[in-house]
Amino acid sequence: MTIATLTKPWEAMSYGFLDASAKRELRRKMLKAIAVPGCQMPYASREVPMARGWGTGGLQVTLTLLRPSSVVKVIDQGADDSVNAASIRSFLSKVSGARETWDTLEATIIQSRHRIPEERLRADQVLVLQVPNPEPLRPVEPNMSVARQMHADADYGRLWLILYEQIVRSGRVMQGAAYPSLVNGRHVMTPSPIPRWDVPKLHMAQHLTFLSAGREKRLYAVPPFTRVEPLVFSDVPFQVEDHAALTCHRSGLTGYFMNEIPQGGGGSQFELSDSNLGIKAIRQAEGAEARVGSTWYENGKMPQ
Amino acid sequence: MSLLTTIPVPDAFEARTNATFEALMWALSRPGTVQDLPAPGRTGIAEALLDRECRVFCDDPALADRIATFGAALVPLPLADHCFLTLDAGLDRLAQVAVGSALYPDTGATIVAEAGFGTGQRLRLTGPGIETFADLVLGGIAPGFWALRAALCHYPTGFDLFLICGAQVIGLPRSTTIEVL
Repeated sequence: MTIATLTKPWEAMSYGFLDASAKRELRRKMLKAIAVPGCQMPYASREVPMARGWGTGGLQVTLTLLRPSSVVKVIDQGADDSVNAASIRSFLSKVSGARETWDTLEATIIQSRHRIPEERLRADQVLVLQVPNPEPLRPVEPNMSVARQMHADADYGRLWLILYEQIVRSGRVMQGAAYPSLVNGRHVMTPSPIPRWDVPKLHMAQHLTFLSAGREKRLYAVPPFTRVEPLVFSDVPFQVEDHAALTCHRSGLTGYFMNEIPQGGGGSQFELSDSNLGIKAIRQAEGAEARVGSTWYENGKMPQ
Repeated sequence: MSLLTTIPVPDAFEARTNATFEALMWALSRPGTVQDLPAPGRTGIAEALLDRECRVFCDDPALADRIATFGAALVPLPLADHCFLTLDAGLDRLAQVAVGSALYPDTGATIVAEAGFGTGQRLRLTGPGIETFADLVLGGIAPGFWALRAALCHYPTGFDLFLICGAQVIGLPRSTTIEVL
């Protein structure tokens, strides 16, 4: 063994920012996460030039996957142009040479906070969701050693209790985001703070999804064609947000997840949460060339 | 992009390990599909995944020497988190492979083995990553292996399997149910 075999030529920076040992650890954990869908795998969560809680978990997964031929899309609450999304996207392309895009159809890796795009993801695409709190049991069990034992025992009764109490208090399930869902019939996961509208998009999907929490140092995955079933009572069916009849005031599209914009007079207007879908629809209406892919929801309904 | 920044280019090591991981990731995500590795053999997989944080068992002395250069500790089979095994004989030691626990499913081992694709035993796979079912023909694996796997792997505990044939890989995660046809 010589010094030369133990060292390598000087580099200003590792390709894709993370050093080789960080990537190897993430790779090992990502493979285990795929092997046990929905089960939270601990990982080291290295320092990245961004504060914990701002998407560092998703960032590390994306950095591990990146190669020069990758095309990255980053969204924050559905929008490509928010500060957080734009900064992450520009960082990713700077450290890897990957191309940036706003178009869901073009992207190979989609890193997202709080939304899954409305256009269907293909089998060759990877969705990376940034997760603030990966533990679905935290509201009912703050001790994470006990929560781990509950996952081991598949002891999820108290999650139904939360839903039951919401129905008793409010007449309906109030859980708006991070709706607890049973993955592959075994582990309950929190599908990051995506709205209920997006949960059915994970069920038996074509694409691979990674969910990664940098601050909490855990990652989990939903492989393609995996059952993701929101927890429900047999007599209270799962319902998505009542947005099917809303129309976007800018693009004119109806039947997708909308942002509500309060107006001065007390009313409100709505606009598409998936901003790039809206942009493409407006371009099409103006006669410019813009390809809109098939969407998960058709006429405000998710086909079964 | 400003003139002061340069576009980073991956070196050969980074490009190779990245492509190897991508093949392994899709192999495990879609059990039964054949993915292409950038280089033939098991060394590339060790290079992409293993370092000083890993404990490895390898029954091929030449490969074990190579893996030791990546920094992984060579340990007895029950302690290993990555096992490089031959599966065509000597199945009795398979019972020693770490399968993790319900508390820590991630401590189940990853097994990397050589196999022949396209000839031999016919298998039917169901589970995550497979829409309905997938049929697979595998050779070079002892006949009792699949029954032993079913007996040892009680989901979510179990071991994950990568089968290599030349520069091709098939992944069989513990979540896959395998029926011998």
